[in-house]
Amino acid sequence: MIARWNLKSSAKLSKLAPYALPLAIVFIVIMFSIAEPAFLKPENLIGIIHQMNLIGIMAVAMTFVIMTGGVDLSVGPVLAISGLTAFFAMDAGLGLPIAIAAALGVGILIGTINGTLVAIFGLPPIIVTLAMLSIVRGLALIWGGPEWHLIRDQDAFTFIGTGHIGGISFSIILLLVFAGAVMFVQKRTPIGLIVAGIGENERAAYLSGHRVRLTKIAIYGLSGMGAALAGIVQSSQVHTSAAVYGEFGTELDVIAAIVLGGTSLMGGNGSIGRTLIGVIFLGVINNGMNILNVTLDIQLITKGVIIVLAMALSELT
Amino acid sequence: MQRRPASIALLAFFLVTVGLFCLFAPNFATTSNFENLMSGFSFVAILAMGQSFPILLRGIDLSIGAMVALAGMVAFDLTMLFHVPGYLILPLVLIAATGAGAINGILIVYLRLQPFIATLATLAAYRGVVYAISGRLLIPKLATTPITDPWIVGIETYFDIGGALGISDYVHLPWFPLSFFLMIAIFITFQLLLLSTKLGRDIYTVGGNQEAARLAGINTRRITIFTYAISGFCAGVAALVLVARLTTSTEALGTGMELTAISAAVIGGVSLQGGIGSMFGPVIGAFLLGVVLIGLTLLGASQYVQQILTGAILLAAVCYDRYLVVQRQRRAAANVGANT
Amino acid sequence: MNEAHLIDAQGLGKTYGSLAVLIDANFTVSAGEIRALVGSNGAGKSTLIKILTGAIAPTTGTVKVDGKELVLGSPTEMINSGIACIYQHSNLAPAMTVLDNIFLGRQPTKRFGLLDRKRQRREAEELLQRHAIQIDLDALVSTLPTVKQKEVEILKALALNARILLMDEPTGWLAASDVAKLHATIRTLKSSGVAIVYISHMLDEIFAVCDTVTVMRDGRIISEGKVADITRPSLVKLMVGEKLAKDSAQAGKFKRMARGTGKVRLSANGLTKRGVFSDISFDLFAGEIFCITGLIGSKRTEFLHTLFGSDRFDSGELKVDGKVISFKSPTQAISNGMGFVTEDRHREGLMLGLSISNNLVMATLRKFHKFGLLKRKEIYSATGEMITDLNIQPPDPIKPVRLLSGGNQQKVLLGKWLNLKPKFLLLDEPTVGVDVGAKAEIYAILRAERDKGAAILVVSSDLEEVMTISDRIAVMVSGRLVAIHDADKTTLAEIIGEIGGAAR
Repeated sequence: MIARWNLKSSAKLSKLAPYALPLAIVFIVIMFSIAEPAFLKPENLIGIIHQMNLIGIMAVAMTFVIMTGGVDLSVGPVLAISGLTAFFAMDAGLGLPIAIAAALGVGILIGTINGTLVAIFGLPPIIVTLAMLSIVRGLALIWGGPEWHLIRDQDAFTFIGTGHIGGISFSIILLLVFAGAVMFVQKRTPIGLIVAGIGENERAAYLSGHRVRLTKIAIYGLSGMGAALAGIVQSSQVHTSAAVYGEFGTELDVIAAIVLGGTSLMGGNGSIGRTLIGVIFLGVINNGMNILNVTLDIQLITKGVIIVLAMALSELT
Repeated sequence: MQRRPASIALLAFFLVTVGLFCLFAPNFATTSNFENLMSGFSFVAILAMGQSFPILLRGIDLSIGAMVALAGMVAFDLTMLFHVPGYLILPLVLIAATGAGAINGILIVYLRLQPFIATLATLAAYRGVVYAISGRLLIPKLATTPITDPWIVGIETYFDIGGALGISDYVHLPWFPLSFFLMIAIFITFQLLLLSTKLGRDIYTVGGNQEAARLAGINTRRITIFTYAISGFCAGVAALVLVARLTTSTEALGTGMELTAISAAVIGGVSLQGGIGSMFGPVIGAFLLGVVLIGLTLLGASQYVQQILTGAILLAAVCYDRYLVVQRQRRAAANVGANT
Repeated sequence: MNEAHLIDAQGLGKTYGSLAVLIDANFTVSAGEIRALVGSNGAGKSTLIKILTGAIAPTTGTVKVDGKELVLGSPTEMINSGIACIYQHSNLAPAMTVLDNIFLGRQPTKRFGLLDRKRQRREAEELLQRHAIQIDLDALVSTLPTVKQKEVEILKALALNARILLMDEPTGWLAASDVAKLHATIRTLKSSGVAIVYISHMLDEIFAVCDTVTVMRDGRIISEGKVADITRPSLVKLMVGEKLAKDSAQAGKFKRMARGTGKVRLSANGLTKRGVFSDISFDLFAGEIFCITGLIGSKRTEFLHTLFGSDRFDSGELKVDGKVISFKSPTQAISNGMGFVTEDRHREGLMLGLSISNNLVMATLRKFHKFGLLKRKEIYSATGEMITDLNIQPPDPIKPVRLLSGGNQQKVLLGKWLNLKPKFLLLDEPTVGVDVGAKAEIYAILRAERDKGAAILVVSSDLEEVMTISDRIAVMVSGRLVAIHDADKTTLAEIIGEIGGAAR
């Protein structure tokens, strides 16, 4: 019952809205598999999820931020600097738990700074996180230099990105567990309701006795943590860490996935589950275009067009 | 014009900064360094002026980097692939860039998208178009062939003003790049447009109070599209300057430039609340950014530190903007209070 | 009235479905006349004004200006024929100069769209001279005091060649000392031949500045005449009408509970916020409904916010249950059992996109979770009960509040605070935009809460409402409490007199 409460329905049309995206995915999958039967092979489908793993983690973590009408453009560099943190921690001989904690801590710290600037000082999220994007990238480059750092002899760390449990890769399990946890927070704790309330009407949330500023700081912290987690997974997958990872455009994919999942950039209702569907949608499109040998240029253009269409549809209905 | 004291404060701050670096940074107070400054930041000032227009309307244009690349690639293709004469290339490039900007405005007005998401989407899309039309990828040999068209390369010309005036024996003036004069020309044009035309007044009105503007019969949609087109136009000019300097263009041209341009505009007192600011601020803002970055490099800071500083300066500028807003609100409240 | 009417409206009527909000109104004003338009809320004033500004088209009737019949329902047509309206809220661009604001959107130009600064200034100066108004044309609007900003709005209208100025509560946001200044300006306008329609609740202002008065009630124009020929009591009687007088007498059938159980719950002593309100003192008892009435802009909303902790007072003492306290945040007020039904349910009260049920628990989430987990069954049963108790229609907990009628939205907002089982309930204009049926239901709910022992503080401008529900009535004028009455020992006429009369 309660799960249904978060459905958004403003007009008759929007009763269909929750199903539009899954239907679109099915439609596109059919189109791609007609064009290229190899698309439907199990290894390809698993590949889709692998490709979208990092975006998925970050999108899940950023959904709350978008729900409050904010945005976090700094996830790319945060991903890079957390990967570096993990590398340097292990390089210094610290254990895996400390390395991971340090990496996550860096992400949470940066997110918290973003959140503080937005919530306490009342600065616009776009500008704050854009500035942070530049600052963190600069810090990462000073720290790690422009070169790749090879992560050697760290079996436990490597397992995060490449290991399997019961035939399912650990990184996917990680994504699902993380998404499950955030979804649990959204559905089963007051936090989900408070976040939606802030996005709908910040003033009313404040007058209802909620700690609006604290909540905002926390959710930017969560977004930073998501980026850090993605950084750990990526470094583990490719056995390297580098300051240039999470290149410009990463944040666009993340935001696109969330927006495709139906969360309004103006704030308000949103759902982690639908963000995941948005991620899958983007993944299918990317993968399908790769399989069909669509070039990078068309892929970029398509992505821009999809975002514009998704946004325009949500604004017009 | 509405904040003359603030402009003077900014100029004073700029001069003090220059003075400090002249005293403490080695090789800062040299003619070649000022040549670097002018050639390296005139186009930033142009981009900042363009960016100011959307910001005046409480919007933002994140796509200018991609539009620079797009315009650059159009110039590259026209001269290298189609051997179009330069005097045609210049207007064509500007038309293409202005059109790209206008598309941003159209998306915002007619699809009712938020400016930042619309321009974030076109950032990706325009960059994609750049790859799609890239003559470099089509014929790899061209990537290493320099552009020679005199009209394009001619933009990278330096003028010995001191020599022309016959005063080079007394003062050692730097040579001025053509891009500096382009920047001045655009500055004068835009400043005139904002302060002395009805269109300029309308832009301030829409930015200051959109509802009042609508009730006053101003076509707010057309004004919005116009401001984004201006931003595109400036990206086109900046692209020409860059292509002339590099004698080629790349797919990655202009990456990250939106950050610098937004920083310069906000430093220059163009308020994110809309309706406040002039062209003077962004120009000073751009050169202030230039002086700080070049000065610190001369003091031995790495280019990564510059990146950090650009971000930090942007944060400081938006904090200051916010501070001014709060001050204005306080004053307005005090105004009401004083009457009771 | 006069021989040649500048504006001549005949037989205006407006119906929404079966509801007639304006009935057969004939309204004429002559050049150089200052006409007061008075009537209580819902009398049809705003409908008449909206027709004259072209915001809505009437169902029946015609409007002529200078004998020429106008196409109704078009704002441009109205502006072109010289009708302009000064609204309560500002329609200026604050960061621009007075000169630019006067010509907002239609600055005179030379070739190439270049501004004709000289002509603009010349025209503005002529305008100032013609109407004998003094103002610095180069000042930024944001730096001007409110009364000067009003003058800029007037000049903006005059620059459009307005000959008929509609002024909607023009002194609503002005301090008392500035009212006289604005009136001086209005008189100079009159002498330059402008017709003015002055809409106000402030009886003193009407007697100070207006020549003639039109009284509206229940959608009809019921009286018209010279201000000189009418006395204040008779004007009040016209405005209130027999019906309300009877209603408020009837309200006597409900038991008045002045000072409730006799136990002081909240005690304000000299509360002051500089420049907003000053020296407010009263006791609020358990089991009573205490109404603060007054005009828009009398700072009652601001006062409630300082009680609730969403704003601060500068000096004075607030005692809650005998303890001196000043709430630092709504969170603290709520944990002390205080609820606040805000005035603007869309901006400050509800999350329109969220469901009825989510809105109902929004202020009381702490009651509905255990170890950080939502107790969903309890939420479900509690909201279900609330929906039944308050008769919220449709009784569908997952319906987004956006889709509800105004009355039902208001009940949701009320229910959100009833979930708190409040010891104190602050309500700001609790029935604005609510239909009659829902109004009665809301009154019944408030009485029930009162009888359960809650201390209820209502801010309302709706005198009918004040007379109906209150146990005690306080009158607030320009940030001061000017009187406190037991509801059964006062009359509507006395209250109206205090609201309109004590302005200076």
